[in-house]
Amino acid sequence: MPPKPDKFKIHSKAVVCQDVDLKGDITIGAGTIVHPKVIIYAMIGPIVIGTNCVIEEGAVLVNRRKEIMRIGDDNIFEIGCRVECPSVGYCNTVSTKARIHHTVRLTNFCVIGAGCMVVPSEDEVLEEYTVMYGKNTTRRVWTGEGKIQEMDLRRKHVEYLSEMLPKFNRLRRTEIH
Amino acid sequence: MACSVLFHCPCLNPPTDPPPPPSQASSSTSNHPLHTLFFCEECDAIRCDRCVSVEVSAYHCPNCLFEVPSASVRAEKNRCARNCFQCPRCTNTLSVVPSDPPGLTWDTQSSSISLGAINEPPFLLFCNFCRWDSSELGIKFDKPTGLAAQLQRHEDSAPEMLEFERLKEHFATYLRAQQSSSSTSQQSQPHHRAHHTSLTAATAAASSALARDIPGVSKHRRKDKDRGAGIDKEELPIYKSRIESASLGTLGLGADEEDVEFLKKLDTENGIEDVARLEQRWTGSWQGSIHSRDLRPLRMPLHSKKSKRCPVCRHILIKPEQKTQSVRYKIKLVAANYLPSIVPLFPSLTPQGLTAAQKKALSTKGSTMSVDEGIDHPLVSMHAGRTYPFQLAFTNPLYDPIHVKLSVQRQSLPSTSSSGTTDSGSTKKVPPNFAINLPTSSFPISAYAEAWEYEDEDEEEMLLDDEALAIGGSGISSSNNTGGRKSKGGSSSANIGVIERKANVTVVGGEVVVGKEGRGDVKFNMMVSYTYRSDEPSQTTGSKGEGKTKTTTSEMKTFSFWVVVHLGSIIVREREKDRDRERGSEESLREG
Repeated sequence: MPPKPDKFKIHSKAVVCQDVDLKGDITIGAGTIVHPKVIIYAMIGPIVIGTNCVIEEGAVLVNRRKEIMRIGDDNIFEIGCRVECPSVGYCNTVSTKARIHHTVRLTNFCVIGAGCMVVPSEDEVLEEYTVMYGKNTTRRVWTGEGKIQEMDLRRKHVEYLSEMLPKFNRLRRTEIH
Repeated sequence: MACSVLFHCPCLNPPTDPPPPPSQASSSTSNHPLHTLFFCEECDAIRCDRCVSVEVSAYHCPNCLFEVPSASVRAEKNRCARNCFQCPRCTNTLSVVPSDPPGLTWDTQSSSISLGAINEPPFLLFCNFCRWDSSELGIKFDKPTGLAAQLQRHEDSAPEMLEFERLKEHFATYLRAQQSSSSTSQQSQPHHRAHHTSLTAATAAASSALARDIPGVSKHRRKDKDRGAGIDKEELPIYKSRIESASLGTLGLGADEEDVEFLKKLDTENGIEDVARLEQRWTGSWQGSIHSRDLRPLRMPLHSKKSKRCPVCRHILIKPEQKTQSVRYKIKLVAANYLPSIVPLFPSLTPQGLTAAQKKALSTKGSTMSVDEGIDHPLVSMHAGRTYPFQLAFTNPLYDPIHVKLSVQRQSLPSTSSSGTTDSGSTKKVPPNFAINLPTSSFPISAYAEAWEYEDEDEEEMLLDDEALAIGGSGISSSNNTGGRKSKGGSSSANIGVIERKANVTVVGGEVVVGKEGRGDVKFNMMVSYTYRSDEPSQTTGSKGEGKTKTTTSEMKTFSFWVVVHLGSIIVREREKDRDRERGSEESLREG
């Protein structure tokens, strides 16, 4: 099946750097920051990214399924992570070099720790407030304590980046072929 | 198996004997790579990690890098007294955070919340990695500093502390009597007495317990003196512990209802996470609960900076700087600054020379260097019955030129009486696996000097060298032709002798002749002795004021050490023999 033609819908308030590798049908919401050297491949189905997300360098978002891949608001995808899950909720954190398989669905407030590989053999939905950490990818449930401060911090993070990134990087504007 | 050269430290074998043959497994403990060895200048000897005596130089907390004076280390039980805690689940560092303002929920549409509402007590310990926080245990603080003191109250009421206090009270009278009698006894040695005055009652009890009757151990018999004063051990009342120890055994292991339900839950998915792991529990000295929800945050254990001394002359070999942040050393007497480093090379096994099988072995065994650099430490396997030239590169760390002399130890095989240097196959008994030919005359190595002190000519020559070596497998002969080479000692083959001299590196070639029946590893002991000029300043006596002339008496000193050279393993020729046998048997079958 031939890859979909490139179609990017980037909100005017989103900050997407020039150096980003985009392919396929991608929609990026308001306030989202995409750092340089990110790879977003909507190979088969489209990818929709919500508002106020931060996607850091080296992150890979791939959609290999026909269905649409929805990423919610206020997520942060740290450096080097690889995400293939078909749906991501809001306020999640995917830490550095974590890898998430396409069988998992993230809900809200999940934290996938650094270097963790989340590859269950069957389809799984991670509950809210799940935390994965450690080299064996142990998991536990977070009480949610401290989430307001963290979300506040993230908002500030997004605001800061949207001011500073355009000063030092070229930005990509919306293109429709 | 990469080829390597290990240095022998004579701490384990008697000083006059040569080191044991390297084919024995027990010899591996005394052989160390050069970068792990120290050198004592007073004794003129190599010291290794095993023989060196270690003492603590300073204690510090790995998190806040605060240096803790040794006196308060004991008082704080080896842990950080400030706000450094370890998460009980993931052993990450905990940070002190104010708790969320109550009554607020996260609304994705709302913009940022005012900061004033955030920095409020009660404060919690929070792990950024696994998101554990201390409110699960009910630990909250009123102010963000001095947390250790606030937690101290919790710790003091722990069952083990109360038990210890009871024990101390019980033995208090006995100890006081012991202490007074031992300080008045005249048999105790002077240093022992000084010790006693500074020790607390607990350690006095420990030392007197050690001095009691143990068969076979020499002791100070003080019972004649002690009979008079103090209470005898037998008169002490029997100690009754706070909690019956029999009941302790059932804690957490009994057949209570909650225990049964706990066990049932373990079967469910992720139920096993509820059980505290062994690593999380063993820092506690008491048999605590095995639930992971009961794990407490630990204060950060302290790390120490150690200094090392020579065991014989007590000279300090390694002394780190007092400052916690600095990783440098005040005194650093490492062997690499005194001994020449030796690197084995196999020029004949360059990429062109490697067989396809060896190249495959190189790539599949996951060697970190590329095949192009295979010259340095290839996975060497030598075929039985062939001769391989190899090279040893000696690097001189001293500021003076040295002369090095090598001598290979004769291999003493258990069942053979042949000398190690004859070719194999000529004796009736088990022949030696291999023979080593190395130059026996001494060769010089230039002094070490800073890179910019070398002339431009040498630099050009060095560039030529690299190209010449990289070009062909027979790089030895081509390098012999370029200018500035010295090959010493009228050796018959071009392979043996000094190959080249570059800056402070001398490359010496040798040959290893592998016997036809050879098997195992090619490892041999070699004694390296080098002569260097040491300048000893001696001052002239009787000169006052100006003109204190110093005459230096320079003498040639010799130092020798043993080295184990490991060149690789031998591929036995059995397979070819088997193939021949098979072919022979097939033919005989066809004929027959």
